[in-house]
Amino acid sequence: MERLTQLGADIADLWAQYGGSYLNGIKNTLILALVATVIGCLIGFICGILQTIPHSKSDPPVKRFFLALIRVIVRIYVEVFRGTPMILQAVFVYYGLPYFTNNSVRFQNIWLAAILVVSINTGAYMAESVRGGILSIDPGQTEGAKAIGMNHFQTMLYVILPQAIRNIMPQIGNNFIINIKDSSVMFIISFTEFFAVHRGAVGATYSYFPSAAIEMVGYLCMTLIASFILRWVERKMDGSDNYELVNEDQLVMTSGTYTHPQKGTPFDEHSKEFKERERTRQELKHGRNRGER
Amino acid sequence: MMSSDAILEIRHLSKSFGNHEVLRDIDFTVRPGDVTSIIGASGSGKSTLLRCVNLLETPTGGEILFHGENVSGKKVDASAYRAKVGMVFQSFNLFDNMTVLKNCMIGQVKVLKKSREEARQNALKYLERVGMGPYINAKPHQISGGQKQRVAIARALAMEPEVLLFDEPTSALDPEMVGEVLEVMRGLADEGMTMLVVTHEMAFARDVSNYVVFMSEGVICEEGKPGEVFTNPRQQRTREFLSRFSKG
Repeated sequence: MERLTQLGADIADLWAQYGGSYLNGIKNTLILALVATVIGCLIGFICGILQTIPHSKSDPPVKRFFLALIRVIVRIYVEVFRGTPMILQAVFVYYGLPYFTNNSVRFQNIWLAAILVVSINTGAYMAESVRGGILSIDPGQTEGAKAIGMNHFQTMLYVILPQAIRNIMPQIGNNFIINIKDSSVMFIISFTEFFAVHRGAVGATYSYFPSAAIEMVGYLCMTLIASFILRWVERKMDGSDNYELVNEDQLVMTSGTYTHPQKGTPFDEHSKEFKERERTRQELKHGRNRGER
Repeated sequence: MMSSDAILEIRHLSKSFGNHEVLRDIDFTVRPGDVTSIIGASGSGKSTLLRCVNLLETPTGGEILFHGENVSGKKVDASAYRAKVGMVFQSFNLFDNMTVLKNCMIGQVKVLKKSREEARQNALKYLERVGMGPYINAKPHQISGGQKQRVAIARALAMEPEVLLFDEPTSALDPEMVGEVLEVMRGLADEGMTMLVVTHEMAFARDVSNYVVFMSEGVICEEGKPGEVFTNPRQQRTREFLSRFSKG
């Protein structure tokens, strides 16, 4: 009990001195994680879409060559950035550029370097998730779209991607939360995110544990709020379980809300539970979980 | 055989998957207003034939002529051709991310480049036609199989195709829902819609269609008016196939 009050006092001291810095660190961490996740997702989508362009033996050789080239390049990108630690990637990029250009080219802006590294890293993970997400959509959807005359681009844009995005939404959320935490390695290139503030504070005060307690609580708050928001977004995307019946006589204003009678049990393929299970199954099958590293 | 007025002419069509030959030397013609039923045992190549006609499968040999023009060649824009040839699938293939109404509008807006309002009116017209008017705000997973198939028919009709292909439209349905779909198809036939139907519904093939093609092991075994094929089949295999249905 005595130790706890001591801890409380130490934290209060620390906060009085460095409170502004901690808050600034939280702000920088959140901005970095958010921007890098968005850019990373864009990279992932571009890679995933390029990889799933259909090709057949009857295509002209030039087209086949380019498609094969794209797949090889994406493959190398994914393997390299998924297979090396982000902390090293940061050092490699940040110090590599001046090294190779005799200091004539360097990152003027530390933000640019940090966002670049985290985005590229996220993109490598998302590329595989997006590819899996696209492949997990029933081929019947593509056939239905083709049958009414849509080309590959239209089919992707209006039919496949909207469904794939919903399916990989948990992966996007996963990446966002991991980026909040793992952007802490950016202290290595002197980016002042949340964890860098800790290093600065303990360097001056030596109160390692109180500062670490602040950091723990801070990170947990950020990730919990992020989880909460992501769940809410997913629910929004699912839309309502009910739909309005439209009366044939538009003048009669008694259109009721109709709940489908088959929505009862968790074993019914229309139920939320079933969809959740199915999604988990697809994730296990297609997505490599970044959280496991 | 007059070929000038035909919508579709299938000439010497063949299809192999690897070494497995699924279709051999298929020949037939679809004229405006024809309702052609393709019957035969499972695995006889009926569905593959229909998918070849819509270019969902690439034929290995032969020609598909649409108004006298070969569409199975490499240079042809398959999407433009498919927009004029409707298809209804066994598994419905409605777009799960869109409402019933949107399912029937998307092709008109994006492929036919109609205005949203025009597409909406047109979609509503065909949804009313198949009795799905009240359900325009539902998503596909919220309606029954029979309802899904009726929406799929409306989606195909909304593109105002010249010919409508049906790939076993009632095979995935519960028995009590088969009737409502067949009723819609019968109505379309009465209105003069040109239809090519792969089906196991022998009553439909006999009563509604004006031409029946019986397929067996990848070839057309027998064809003719339904009256002739059903009451007086010439081939032994046709007799065997039909006898299984008349007993049941």
